[in-house]
Amino acid sequence: MTSAPPNGNAGGLKVSDIVSGYGNQPVLHGLSLDIDPGTLVSVIGPNGHGKTTLLRTISGQVPLRSGHVLLNGTDVSGRSVDAITAAGIAHVPQGDLLFTGMTVYENLLMGAYLVRDRVLLQSRLDQVFALLPKLAERRNQVTDSLSGGERRMVGIGRGLMTGGQVLMLDEPSLGLAPIVIDTIYELVETLKADGRSILLVEESPERVVDFADRIYLLDNGEINWSGTADELNANDELLSTYLGV
Amino acid sequence: MSPETLAQIVLTGLTVGAMYALATIGLSLIWGSLGMLNMAHGVLLTIGGYSAYAAVSVAGLPWPMGIVAALLFGALIGLLLYLGVVRWMVGTANFETNIIIASFGVAIALENSILQIFGGQPFGQPLVMRGAVDVGLVSIPYQNIIIVVGSAGLMLVASYVMQQTRLGRAIRAVSQQRDAAGLMGVPVQRIFLIVLVFSGMLSAISGVMLTSSTQLAPALGQDPMIKAFIMCVVAGLGHIGGAVAMAFALAMVEAASQFWLGARWGFPVLLTLVILVLIVRPAGLFGRVSITRL
Repeated sequence: MTSAPPNGNAGGLKVSDIVSGYGNQPVLHGLSLDIDPGTLVSVIGPNGHGKTTLLRTISGQVPLRSGHVLLNGTDVSGRSVDAITAAGIAHVPQGDLLFTGMTVYENLLMGAYLVRDRVLLQSRLDQVFALLPKLAERRNQVTDSLSGGERRMVGIGRGLMTGGQVLMLDEPSLGLAPIVIDTIYELVETLKADGRSILLVEESPERVVDFADRIYLLDNGEINWSGTADELNANDELLSTYLGV
Repeated sequence: MSPETLAQIVLTGLTVGAMYALATIGLSLIWGSLGMLNMAHGVLLTIGGYSAYAAVSVAGLPWPMGIVAALLFGALIGLLLYLGVVRWMVGTANFETNIIIASFGVAIALENSILQIFGGQPFGQPLVMRGAVDVGLVSIPYQNIIIVVGSAGLMLVASYVMQQTRLGRAIRAVSQQRDAAGLMGVPVQRIFLIVLVFSGMLSAISGVMLTSSTQLAPALGQDPMIKAFIMCVVAGLGHIGGAVAMAFALAMVEAASQFWLGARWGFPVLLTLVILVLIVRPAGLFGRVSITRL
């Protein structure tokens, strides 16, 4: 599986000291992380420790109380969700959140909602279909008639259609059978090989240690360790204490 | 039953059905796309009729300006509804319940404003086409033809916008999955504004046609709104084409029962049918149980 490189538009993301949460309860307490252009960074942590909140804060769905989100050096914090997408952050949300009354094709078109140029739209569509031939086969099917794995592919394909310079994936393995997870992770590796910048959130580390450039461990809304996959693998204490492996 | 009787029942059913359909389109559009039961819908119909009256009968403008005035005021009320109410309530807890009460408040205020400005006495609406055409067994007033064709036309416009355009796709995306729509770059708040203005215009035009065969009165929109509500529920929320089809089907049933059982049985029979449908299919005939609302 190969796909055309994303026109050299892999962006860098810098998150510094962000505090955010729901109601009066902060979930993230001053969290920072960096994604260099063309790298895959993974945030690992148990459920309920703020992984999804982190992505939702970056994409503007959860209001930021303090701190900054910088895309290629430009501060996008405080912008509306659609403006952050327009700036170039693509967020593939947990559980896909597909437009279930629409076909695969219409879902992909929605991903390119901000693209007015037909030629550009078609080239993105070709790219996504080349990467995910299954979606080309199913293009006129309504998404709620698809399998879980196919729906996940639509979710990722729709995210790619936005043309974002940083792709955020929220637990792409969630709720899928192991063999389907393998397929999805082959896709993620292809995306990384294409030189995209990816922020990948997962509950367990075993899927990501092989190919993440950098790993952050999230615990109660704070980063309590970060390093390379090799450093994590070498640290038996960390593996057993925090991750139960 | 004589052919004349049958023709008369079908004709009455078509005309009344078209009136119900006209009343239904705007309500169905807002309900389906925003999850908002707009209680100010009836008064939007009323405002359409009064705008045409004010432009043509009071200001003395040529008749097409009556339609323009209705479109303008419909859009204006839609805009005010967004700026004054919806904008502040979208995304808050219990939006679907609270918006019913809030829009009901708007409806009362607007209805009383109309009463204040125009008084309570009924007027004739100026945009009326007189005369009739004889078609074999029955004579059909031009006005009825306009109403039937007009309701079909508005339904086609609404369906075309929703199914075939980029805006329609964005509206459906917002209604199906608001969070994801935002992540695709859809400006969700602006979509709400556009839907309210667009359906305000549709409703006002419906109001012009509805009032052409009755008279203008401040409360004239209330009855059509209740009928529209019934059509939306029976068809399944937000299914514009389904709601229009139900409007015609139920109006036929109503006309037939009025003929055979007597005039006072029309509405009770219609309601009985509605209850039976909802017992068998609680989500409506065209509705889906797992539909996602805002």
